[in-house]
Parts: sequence; C-alpha cells; structure tokens
Amino acid sequence: MSDRYYLRFYQFLHANKKWVLASFVLVTLLAATGVFFVSYEGTINIMLPPDKKVVQSLDFLRDASFSDKVILSLALRDPKKTKKDLFHAADTLAASLAPPLFTSAITGFSFADVMEEFSLLQYAPQIFGEQDFKALDKKINPQAVSSRLHDIYQQSFRFESIFLSSFSRTDPIGIQRIVLEKLRALPASLGYDVMMEDGHFISKDGRHAMIIIQTSVPMTDGRRSRELIAALQDHLQHLPAYVTADIVSGHIHTVRNEEVIKQDITVAATIASFAFLFLFLFVFRDLRALFVFILPVIAVIWAIVIIAFVQDTLSYLIIGFGTAIVGISDYGLVVYIAMKQGTDISQSIQLAKLVFIDAITTIFSFVVLFFSAIHGYHQLALFSVLCLTLCLLFSMAVLPLILDRRQTGSIIHSSFAAGIKMDQWPAKRIVVIWSVLTAVFLVLAFFVQFDSDVKKLDGSGPEVLKTEQRFHEVWGGKSNQAILVVTGGSLEEAMEKNDQVFADVQKRIGAEHITNIASFWPSEKKRKENVQTWDRFWNEGREKKLRELIRQASARYEFSDQAFAPFFQGLYAHRVENAVPEGIIAHLQKRFVTVQNGEYRVLTFFPDEQRFLDALSTLPEQYPGTFLVSGKMLSSFISDFTAKEIRILAPLAVLFNVVFAWFFFRNWQEVLIALIPLITGVIWLIGIMALFNTPLNVITLVAVIITTGVIIDYGLGMTYEYGQNMNFGTIIAVTLSAASNIIGAGALLFAKHPALYSTAVAMVICMTAAYISAIVVIPSFCRIMKTGRREVPLP
Amino acid sequence: MKAFRVYCAMSFVFLVAFLFPLTVLSAESPADRQANNANLPAFLKKLGKEIADFKTLSTDFIQEKEMALFKKKLVLRGRIYLRKPNTIAWHVDSPVRYSVLITDKVIRQWDEDTNRVQEISLTQNPVFQNVLSQLTVWFSGDYTTLLETNTVRLVKIEPLTVEFIPHKKNIAATVIQKVTISFREDRTYLKQIRIHELSGDITTIIFTNTLLNAPLDQRNFEVKGHE
Repeated sequence: MSDRYYLRFYQFLHANKKWVLASFVLVTLLAATGVFFVSYEGTINIMLPPDKKVVQSLDFLRDASFSDKVILSLALRDPKKTKKDLFHAADTLAASLAPPLFTSAITGFSFADVMEEFSLLQYAPQIFGEQDFKALDKKINPQAVSSRLHDIYQQSFRFESIFLSSFSRTDPIGIQRIVLEKLRALPASLGYDVMMEDGHFISKDGRHAMIIIQTSVPMTDGRRSRELIAALQDHLQHLPAYVTADIVSGHIHTVRNEEVIKQDITVAATIASFAFLFLFLFVFRDLRALFVFILPVIAVIWAIVIIAFVQDTLSYLIIGFGTAIVGISDYGLVVYIAMKQGTDISQSIQLAKLVFIDAITTIFSFVVLFFSAIHGYHQLALFSVLCLTLCLLFSMAVLPLILDRRQTGSIIHSSFAAGIKMDQWPAKRIVVIWSVLTAVFLVLAFFVQFDSDVKKLDGSGPEVLKTEQRFHEVWGGKSNQAILVVTGGSLEEAMEKNDQVFADVQKRIGAEHITNIASFWPSEKKRKENVQTWDRFWNEGREKKLRELIRQASARYEFSDQAFAPFFQGLYAHRVENAVPEGIIAHLQKRFVTVQNGEYRVLTFFPDEQRFLDALSTLPEQYPGTFLVSGKMLSSFISDFTAKEIRILAPLAVLFNVVFAWFFFRNWQEVLIALIPLITGVIWLIGIMALFNTPLNVITLVAVIITTGVIIDYGLGMTYEYGQNMNFGTIIAVTLSAASNIIGAGALLFAKHPALYSTAVAMVICMTAAYISAIVVIPSFCRIMKTGRREVPLP
Repeated sequence: MKAFRVYCAMSFVFLVAFLFPLTVLSAESPADRQANNANLPAFLKKLGKEIADFKTLSTDFIQEKEMALFKKKLVLRGRIYLRKPNTIAWHVDSPVRYSVLITDKVIRQWDEDTNRVQEISLTQNPVFQNVLSQLTVWFSGDYTTLLETNTVRLVKIEPLTVEFIPHKKNIAATVIQKVTISFREDRTYLKQIRIHELSGDITTIIFTNTLLNAPLDQRNFEVKGHE
C-alpha cells in the first residue's frame, strides 16, 4: 500500500521536475533572506530546569534590579597621581553616564551622609535594638563616663577640635560609636571589600575606585547589552591616561557568549565545509555530491525561519546544535550512494524504507526531548525534528531529481571498500574483545561525575575571566553571596516581616554573617517600638544617673554646668520619620528592597555556604512568602532535576529505538544486533569520560541523547545489509555517514564555547565507538548467530 | 549627627587661615585693594594665581576658645608648619602637648596624655581627609569656588578684615555662622581668624611669626617629643 503511494509520489516528482526544483530554489532564497530578520538570544537559561525553586531563583535574578548592574573598577596607573585624581575621574565618568542606557551611576556614599540626614538623637532612638541598649547601659557608670569626658577634654586640644568640641555636647557617652558600628556593615553589603573615602568607594590598596551603574537593560537582552557595553566603552575612552577601567557585568557575559558562539559556528561551519568538500570531491569524485552536503544546510535555513514563526526568539545554542545536525542528517548520502550503485525503481522502495526508518529513529531521539520539562529542550526538539524531516524530504524528493540515475560507478576505491568489510576477521575474538572492553567501560561508567555548575558552560572567554579575576583580587567578593528574600504586598508589610526574619536569621547563623536593612533602618512599626524602648530606657533612672555621673566628673575638667545640655534637651525630642526620598537611606533601600510586579522584596545577604543554607532551609516554610536564592542550591537543583529527567528520557529514547527497530526487522535477534552501536556508543562514552576524570554536564547529556538517534542508524543499516542481503553499499554508506557525522560534530571540537565543545567531545566519542562496533562487531555477531547472508526475495 | 558639617566647616576655616595671608601679599596698594573689593571674583582669581609661588609656611599661633562646654576660655599655644602640596604639621605646646602630621597618605599624631604615636590611614579619618582635600583645592588657586558657596565681604580696610558667611546651601552653614579674618597692620601677614559657630562658640586663632617660603627642617614635621 505504502509502496504504491511512494511510487506515485516518485512519478509525480519526476513528471514535474522543473516546477519542483524552481519552487525549492525560490523558497530557499526567501528563507535565506528571512534568516537575517530572526531574533536570536545567547543565554543558556532556556536549557535550565523549570523546577519551581529554579524558576523562582532565575526569575528573581532576572528581574531584580541589582541583576541589571554594571560595576566599573577604575585603577590609578600613575604613581604620581593621587586618590583625588582618581575620584575626580570617577565623578566625571559617572556624571557622563546618562539615561536611557544608564539610569544611575554611584561612586560611593559617606557615613556622614547618613548622619547628615538624621541627627544622632533623631536616628539612634529609631534603630537601637536590644544589643545596642545593652552596650549603652554599659557606658552609664562612673568609669565609662569619666573616661569619655576625659576623651572630650583631650580632643579640645587637637587639630580637629575647632568644631568637634561643640559637637561633643550632644554625645557625652559615645552613642555615635554604636551607630557607626552598625553603619560599617553597609559597604560589606555590596559583597566586596569596599572602603569609603571622601564619599567614594575605594579599594583596600587605595588605588582603585568603584562605580556601580544601574541600567535599564536586562542582562538577557543580547542586542541592548551590546549597545550598553559599546556605549560604556565609548565613555571609558574619555578617561584620563592615568586611569584604566575594568567592566564587570552580566551584560558583558551575554555579549561575549554571543560573539564566541557566532565565531565558533563560523569556524565549525568553515572546517566542516572544507572537510565535506574534500570528502565529496576526492572520495566521491563527483561535483553533484555537493548537493548531499548543501541540502541539510538548506534544511537548517528553512527550519530557522519556520521556527521563528512559532517562537519569539531562537537560541544561538540551538543553532549551534544545528551544525551538528547537518552532519547527522545523512539520508542524502545513503540516497546518493544507492543511486551511484545503480539501484532500480524496485530497490528504491527498499532504499526509501531504510532511509525512512533511519530518519524516524533519529527524529524520535529528538521527540523524546518533548517529554522533558526544560523549555530549551523543546525548542531543540522542534528545531531538530524540523531539520531532519526537511532533510528526509529533500533527500527523497529533491536529490533524486538532481542526480542522474544513469551515471553510475564506483564511489570509492574498491580496495578501501574491501578493507572495511569485516567478513574475514575472526568473529569470536572480536566479540570477546568488544565484550571485555564494554564491560570495563560499564564498570567505569558507575564512577563518572556529573558537574551541575552551569557557570562552567559560560563561554565568555579568558579576557573576561581575567578581568573578573583582577577585579576580585582588588575588591574581593569571590565567594558568592546567597540571598534570603522576604516578600510583602506593601513596603511596610515586607519590612515588618523582614524584621521578624532578620531576628530569626541572626539567631540561626549569627549577625556577623548577614547584611540586612533592618540593622540600620527597620520597619516603621519597629522604629516606633524602638523609640518607645529608648524613652523607657532613659526614664528608668538612667537619665538621672547619667546627669549625676557627668556632674561628678565635670569638675575635674572644668566643664560648664550646661556643657551637655544639648544632649539632655534632645533625649526625648525624637520623632519617627520616613527616609528622605533622595537621601542616603532611600538610596540604600534600593540595595535591599526591590519591587517586582507590585510585590515588595526585602533582601538579606549571607555567604553562599552549605552550613548557612542548611540552617536557613526551613525559613520558607516558617515564613510564607520567603525564599532563598543561592547559586549552590541552584546547582544542586539542576543536578537532581537532570538526574530525574535522564531516568525518564534515556529509557524512552531506547524504547523508541527498540520499537522502531522491531517494526523494521520483525525479528528480536536482529533488533538486538542492531542495538550494538547504541549500547557501545553510550557505555564507551561514559566510561571514557570517567577514565579521564571528565564530568558529564547538562549539555553532554543532551548530546548523548541526540547521538543515540544517529548511531542507531549504523546498527540498522549494517544489520539490514547483512540480514536482507542488500547491495546499497551500506558499509560504504555507514562509513561515509559516520565520517560526515563525525566531521559535523568534530568541527565543534575547535569551538571556544565550552557548551559547544562539550557537545563535540561527547558526540565524537559516542559516534566513533558506535561506528567501530557497527562495522566490526555487527558482522561478527551476524556470523556467529548465523543471521547473515539470508536470501530474502525483493518485493 | 553633624559630623559632615564639621568636616566641611573645618576645611573652610583652614583654607581661610592659610590662604588669606597670601591675598594680602598680592594686593600691592590700597587702590588695588579697593578695586579688588569692587570686583571680588577677579580679585580672588588673581590671588589664586599668585599663590602658586608659595612653597612653605611657618607660623606660631595662639588659639582662644570661648566654648559653652567649658567654664573658662581655653587658650592653646603652638606652631603650624606647612609644605606644599599637602603636608601639614600642627603642634600644640601648651597647656598640653599634642602634635599631628598630615600627608596625602597618612596621619600621625602624638599626645602627651598617652605618649603614643598613632598612625591613621586617611581612609579611616574623614575629618582630616576632608580638610586636606579642601586645602589642596585652595593651594591650587581655585578661589572662585569660595564665591559660589560663601558671601565674601570686605569689613574694613584698616586693618584689612574680610568676612565669609556660608550660603544656606553650603554644608558649612549648618555649623558656622561666619568666619572673619584680619591682617596685620603692615598687611603682610595674617593676624587672626575668628570662627563664629551657630552654637555660640567662638574660636580665635592669632598668628604670629608667620614666615612664607622659609626653609623648614624635617624635625618640624616629626610628631613625637617635639621641641
């Protein structure tokens, strides 16, 4: 039945050859033009699991305002120049960074700014907590008061005394020190070893200044990231010669990843093109063989444009895989070789069946990816299935129209063809060697490591990494920070919840490990409570006691009776105020509070270490609306998720292959033999990775799944050749197919991007092992199990 | 807290104290001074250019403090040595002994009470740092900035007395009411500087034995056990 339809299709194509070819060329030209209008993205995010916690973390990181930051480290290169020159350069640069690309540029802030916004006796009562009152209480005794007054007296003779003496009248017991201790945590909240000088961020070595730039450009936006970085580099050109700048930003990773992937694709495509050209011109010795190579490329172009209609953007990574798929889709090769061998119409039907089953097994290797929960895998599956279907269509419908059936002849030298036939090799010895090697690699496979750190798949390149290393040497901050996020419908609601969580977190991991806004600006409710506590503290006799202690100690230093009147007059004059909109507190709030879709999020920063994550792991359950964002935790989720996915996808891929193989052979013995390359490819790959202590990663696993769809074809073809006694030149086809597959994937071995390189390594090892087993082991098994050379009547 | 105001105010005082001796030197005749009074921006700009010749300064001082903090007026005596671009030594000889040396990199101070030399990074002491940075601006001759942030008034010609009143937007205005400087009768040297604070405190520094471009000994910039 299907044979009849195929014959009709075949006859229709040949009858309308000119129209078919003209339409094909026209659509290809249109698609090639359309490729330039497709929107691409270069991030690896779509390849990550959509687990609730992962999505929550990624959404948070993507949308939180601090993720859209660019940090500049300005270095003073001339030893004759001073920090003043550096600050001047930083201020000039910051002032030049204007919207829309740059929403703000901060060169630093001063503790004095905070104190300026609120007077001491206005600010301290609002923020003092239990520990602060304990510290204050310790200062109200004869020794402490006497010591403090002695300091004030001594200070009166000092260089800076001209104004500080009058200032001391408002602080006779050193409240300022307690306040400053709290504020010292502020620079640490940046996650770097930042010091403050003259209201500027400065490094410990005093030779670097930092500018924190806020931008409206999301890190994931490749096009605007390019604009942003280019604009910033333009501004940096105007820095004085004695100042150099390092840019540290997620945007630069996006830009560099795109550049590297584009460059890799160009290099890989060029290498693959030359290799294919060599293969077709010197092995096939026929210019028309170029069509075998060109058709899959055309299929990729068509697929990109078709996908663009379905999806908003297409990942460069997916396109990268497309290069490998060009090598994979070798149906044209099988058709070409068969036609060169002189297959007639009846054999064409058998050939179509083989090509069809080859395509179906490969396509279903990608279809398996639809069962994954990862969005990127769906796009990869859709793109690959489309590419392969188009390849199949072109190979069956277009290629025969281009090739002339009458021009038959030997494709490669007969001695080479004879050399790769394994009929004469000792079958049992080969099977034993294969079994031993496979067993060894199987044992090794149990020791393979899985690396879930997606940062290692970042292809930004050594230049960016070197810049970041230099940055961390100057500013520290190499150890990552995790974030505890507290949410609320309003700012006050979130801040109040944050106060509770902050108190709890302090108990769990210690105040010294966390940075939270509550330590220097709690919720309004808490500040009101603090003010009441302050009043109680002094009303409980401490004010009277302090007055008396001061009176006793003052005589020695000849302090006047009204010396500290401003302090006692202002003791209860405080009132709870909101932060000034453009003041330093409001500015710092931006670091700790973000708004996302009307939801307020208050952030607590702490070191991303397992012991702290463990200690805080129950917080989200205890405080609804609270969640943790941690790179370490993210890696762990990805690892667990991938393992779970593989447990489903791998058996599914094998099942599809087995089912299609059975439909094709209707014989379990042949099905099992046909699976030898699949088993060999996968086990040997994992074993070799373990042997060389190279961990698997998310990308290599995807590459393995893709490759299984290819290497099953080797087994099907070889078993078909030996089982059906066909004369399509299957051994040559499998050899050239493997060669083209390995060339396609192997070209990516020259890629600089680690994701593409990992893909290439996995695919090349897997395909090479599978190919060797296909041409060496399958014939041996066939001979041992006496399946070979059966005479089967052709339909 | 008024720390920042204090920093700014201190800077303000120091720049006035150390620079106005030079303004006198630059005004060569009463006619010139009157012309400058009528056109203060040009006057200050001219002085700024001439200050470039100044390399070192040596002066004794008497500092009188009328402060609400103390029952009596506090009187300090000491010396100031200054070397461009940014090295200042401030020595108090009585009633207690205290010295501080400020450079662009470090602050070293010693006092009789503790008899210890303390070395502080400028990064940890914004007070000194701010004073020093302001002084550097002044030594560079950028006097026009004073006009932007202060009302400058010529109080009287004989003896030459100039008053600086910080503008409301000037951060120094939160601490200082005004700074008045007056010059010796020969109009060669600064005679005194008086700082009126908003708190009512008044500090008067009287300069004596002021020498410009005098050779300075390295010992003048040593802080421990100064003589």
